[in-house]
Amino acid sequence: MTNPLTTSAWEVDETPEAGTPRVIPPRRQRSFGRWFVEVGWRHLIGVLAVVFAVFPLLYVLSVSLNPLGTLTGSNELFRAFDIANYAKLFSNPDVPFARWFVNTLVIGIVSGVGTVFLGALAAYSFSRMRFVGRRVGLLTLLLVQMFPQFLAVVAIFLLMVGIGDIFPAIGLGSQAGLILIYLGGALGVNTFLMYGFFNTVPTSIDEAAKIDGASHVRIFFTIILRLVTPIIAVVGLLSFISATGEFVIASILLTNPDSQTVAVGLFTFVSQFQSKNWGVFAAGAVLSAIPVVTLFLFLQKYIVSGLTAGSVK
Amino acid sequence: MKVKHAGILATGAMATIATLALAGCASGTNDDGDDLADAGATTITLWVDTERAPALKDVAAKFKEDTGITVKLEIKDFATVDQDFISQVPTGKGPDVIVSPHDKLGSYVDNGVVAPLELGDTAGLFAASAMRAMTYEGTVYGVPYSIENVALIRNADLVTEAATDFDTVISNGKEWAGGAKDKYPFLVGLSPEQGDPYHLYPLQTSYGAPVFGLDAEGSYDPTKLELGNAGGLEFAAALKQWGEDGVLNANIDGDKAKEFFLAGKSPYYLTGPWNLPDIKNAGINYAIDPLPSAGGEAAQPFIGVNGFFLSSKSKNELAATQFIVNYLSTDAVQTALFEIGGRPPALVTAYETAAAADPDVAALGEIATTGVPMPAIPAMGSVWADWGNAELSLIKGEGDPTEVWTTAVDNIEAKIAG
Amino acid sequence: MTSTRPSPAIEYSPPRRQSTLALLIKILLLGLVDAIGVYALFILFIKEQWLVFGLAVAILALINWIYLVPGQLPAKYLTPGLFFLAIFQVFVVIFTGYIAFTNYSDGHNSSKDDAVASIIRVAQKRVPDSPQYAVTVLRQGDVLSLLVTEPDGTVSVGSADDPLEVTTDAELDSTGKAVGLPGYDTLQLAEVVQNQDAVLALVVPESDDPNAGSIRTSDGATGFVYQASLVYDEQADTFTDSETGTVYLADEKEGSFVSPDGETLTPGWRVNVGFDNFVEAATNEQIRDPLIRVVLWTFVFAILSVATTFVLGLFLALVFNDPRVRGKKIYRILIILPYAFPAFLSGLVWAGLLNPEFGFVNQVLFGGAQIPWLSDPWLAKFSVLLVNLWLGYPYMFLICTGALQSLPEELTEAARVDGASPWRIVRSVKLPLLLVSVAPLLIASFAFNFNNFNVIYMLTRGWPRFSDTTLDIGATDIMITMVYKVAFGGGGGRDYGLASAFSILIFILVATVSAIGFRRTRALEDLN
Repeated sequence: MTNPLTTSAWEVDETPEAGTPRVIPPRRQRSFGRWFVEVGWRHLIGVLAVVFAVFPLLYVLSVSLNPLGTLTGSNELFRAFDIANYAKLFSNPDVPFARWFVNTLVIGIVSGVGTVFLGALAAYSFSRMRFVGRRVGLLTLLLVQMFPQFLAVVAIFLLMVGIGDIFPAIGLGSQAGLILIYLGGALGVNTFLMYGFFNTVPTSIDEAAKIDGASHVRIFFTIILRLVTPIIAVVGLLSFISATGEFVIASILLTNPDSQTVAVGLFTFVSQFQSKNWGVFAAGAVLSAIPVVTLFLFLQKYIVSGLTAGSVK
Repeated sequence: MKVKHAGILATGAMATIATLALAGCASGTNDDGDDLADAGATTITLWVDTERAPALKDVAAKFKEDTGITVKLEIKDFATVDQDFISQVPTGKGPDVIVSPHDKLGSYVDNGVVAPLELGDTAGLFAASAMRAMTYEGTVYGVPYSIENVALIRNADLVTEAATDFDTVISNGKEWAGGAKDKYPFLVGLSPEQGDPYHLYPLQTSYGAPVFGLDAEGSYDPTKLELGNAGGLEFAAALKQWGEDGVLNANIDGDKAKEFFLAGKSPYYLTGPWNLPDIKNAGINYAIDPLPSAGGEAAQPFIGVNGFFLSSKSKNELAATQFIVNYLSTDAVQTALFEIGGRPPALVTAYETAAAADPDVAALGEIATTGVPMPAIPAMGSVWADWGNAELSLIKGEGDPTEVWTTAVDNIEAKIAG
Repeated sequence: MTSTRPSPAIEYSPPRRQSTLALLIKILLLGLVDAIGVYALFILFIKEQWLVFGLAVAILALINWIYLVPGQLPAKYLTPGLFFLAIFQVFVVIFTGYIAFTNYSDGHNSSKDDAVASIIRVAQKRVPDSPQYAVTVLRQGDVLSLLVTEPDGTVSVGSADDPLEVTTDAELDSTGKAVGLPGYDTLQLAEVVQNQDAVLALVVPESDDPNAGSIRTSDGATGFVYQASLVYDEQADTFTDSETGTVYLADEKEGSFVSPDGETLTPGWRVNVGFDNFVEAATNEQIRDPLIRVVLWTFVFAILSVATTFVLGLFLALVFNDPRVRGKKIYRILIILPYAFPAFLSGLVWAGLLNPEFGFVNQVLFGGAQIPWLSDPWLAKFSVLLVNLWLGYPYMFLICTGALQSLPEELTEAARVDGASPWRIVRSVKLPLLLVSVAPLLIASFAFNFNNFNVIYMLTRGWPRFSDTTLDIGATDIMITMVYKVAFGGGGGRDYGLASAFSILIFILVATVSAIGFRRTRALEDLN
């Protein structure tokens, strides 16, 4: 038996008949120790990380499946397996969960697309053009977004009342108004992310296109955007997540239950004085995570695609 | 195309488009404007939270049938509905009517967001305590529809007899529990963060320590904080004792308390009518006992009265007043609200019918007659946090009762004054 | 994600050919914007909102100029985003600043006119022991009158100018209530509702005696006799108590009516109070003592949050950056799951998990130990950081994964060829490059956590409380939760003016620190 730690994986077969040494591909059964040192420990870390990440969510899942679920009392996970809470979500006319779900998707997608678009435009100009205030401008954008919006809710409320007087369609109570507010945050960290990625696209491409006579608009839309799809996917996902999870402003603006989002609607379940309904709340939360996960699955190949910036040379 | 020409053409085209679109928008608005005016005259907007909403749906539908006026229900988050009301009414975007517990009345009036209502003879048809709750500084602002208060719910299978004083209750409970770790002699839901002075109030008043004293007219006087009197200190000491004995447990919150009681892990549960439906569904053989006295005096729980209030900037004041004063005060409606909401009605005749039909209502109503309305004065807002925290610390066994309690009282007085 | 060399500038000369399609789209879009803009101007004009009108004109002109004049490309690209930023972010900041200079709060939440109207309304008190009347609203021409039926059956009629006079011609209905009078039209409920403003404003004097009360109706069917307990003198701008004679003067500095003894009438109104709120924010005694501790903890919390999430995220990204690991996709999805759940929900769940007696963590993981995760000051701080780590590392993981992917391979190869150990490679090659591109994100994350209200509030409410202060401030409070509790929960209702002053101060603080941070990490270097 050869010592696995000292022989290489590739064995050289030196049977006399062969003449020239034949190289035999490594056996499938490489030593476990070797594998562990190189790769296996990564799986171990991964499993630990997954456990850390997932167990509170498993807990929520088990609460949602328990008709009497409370967030503090149900320590035996998955004691019950009843979808009564899910049924309640959809059957209570005062709780139009399906509407909320649709609203959330609409708001999330429109905000996401809008943020990506506005951010890409701005990132492109920061990356490709030189103008007065460029250096300061980008960082100023980051600074402006640091305002604790949470305490500015009064200002936002009064602003939307004022806007509603002129354009009722985007005023208080409208989802369009909410989306516009989210778009106000488009130029910030997301733009910076995109700016960084734009910088990795070499300008030779732009030059080549220009020589062909393309206008800057065309260069932007048809060439550059295609090359930066990974970062667009990331920013789209991040802004979708933040728009769907945002709660404070949405609860002020959306007064009609039919137009509310899942975050706002679910919260009313557990903010009642006496009868908090954790089971239904948990069920709603589980369902609300599905769009995000789906989106991530869908965008995964863009996000972590093999397209490394370095290869585009 | 040369740039110059393109520019001119572009400008011209844009002007045309702009004008057309503008014409379209403008005419659109005018139509909207008319519709709003018409619609405004016959639609009342009502704010209500999720818990109380189902009871109002049918009432709204019936009102529309009878008078042709639509009542639009907007469901809001309970925790913030009162503050949203106060912020939104002045901007003109608030509702016409709000359903609210009475303890918010003080801050509504101080902010000028509710209008006085004159009930005339109708006022006499309601329980006196309910009308008192709807009155602030001598003026009536709302029409009550239900009264709620806590009671002592006993699992009759576990302890068969009612007790009149708290010590007997405890000894009954302990006897049954027999020291088992997962059996609790007594349950009341406390918040692990700030306690629950609301639920513990009857025990406190039985030591002769109400939160505020009354002034000459019988309303709460914010300058007379009675929490810190001798009875209060006795109560503080008792709290610590109960905490040590395991009678009160700071880690058991409302959800857990309910869960344990429904699972038969305790014979006693101090809670209100909101949990009765679940208790019934779980098949517990329950009995509603009057609140036992711990300190020798009468145990007076807080009464919460739910009522309808009129916004001071309502654009449909007349219709809304019709709705509140003339419609919601009728026997039929009060009974309907009771049937869905489960809280004893405030209208005396409706209450009597309900009590005759449902012994639970009668029992709760009996207890309500011993209760006192929650203070609606704005000063109350300064009280809850320190009060609850002091109670919680004592239950957890931290600190000397007199010290903790007196510090809390001093803090509260400072907040009210400052 | 960033290359080490920023890209050189591109010179864009006006295109030689502009396609007609592009031109058409441009016209259409700009036309639409102009249409909406002009429409807004129209409405503003009607409403006579001159300040906003002027601003709108300026903005519209600017937008047109930017897009019509050839060249100035950066502006063309930046304008859409900047437009939204300006209205929904910058303006909000400015408006909050404006509110900070007023006393906008409970009890002072509207204009003086509203306050006066409200006081007048509440002052209308029903004369005690006066009877309840059944009324009908009549109309003759433009004038409304009330047809009053007293409990004893007497019927009278009167209007705003004519006091009540007994009349005998009234038609009665089956209950004895007078419902009509010859020469007058009776308004039915629907019409009453339509004319509610006039009906509600109708005040019929009881008699010629000016000290007698007057009849009003609030629902069109019943009426009562009212007397005003407070009388408003518009000229002098005072309220006089009709019983005691106390005069309440309007105090424009405070925003309420005050009597010589110092009693105020509620409600008051909003007034400009200058720097009062800022002074209060900075010098409030009750805040000043724990303030240092809270500020310190805020910085520590923000820095540690960024550090822990970054380290964990980076570590996991490195671990999974190896092509030999199978099942990467599955790991990735599971690892970012915490990020998919709304943050406030997660806060609530963790609060339940960490319950000392019944929580999952203590019961199951620690076998029934009663570790006071949320009530011991240090453990509470630890718990808050732990939960924030759980919430935040997926974001860092995503960022780092992308960033690592974009690092040039040849550098790593070169290092490996030179014989550097994997750890050395990470430390000396990957990390510096990574930090250059990720540094501004870390700073932004710092700012976000500086103001991370959700996590703290949902998990601990800022508790456990400090025992040496009367305010509700605790060991896990960060500045923003403290401000929230002080301004919104102090028992005096909501004080928006104070809260706005605080938010301006916090903003200045965090922006300054971040700006310094940007400088120090020389992020600016990259932009050249």
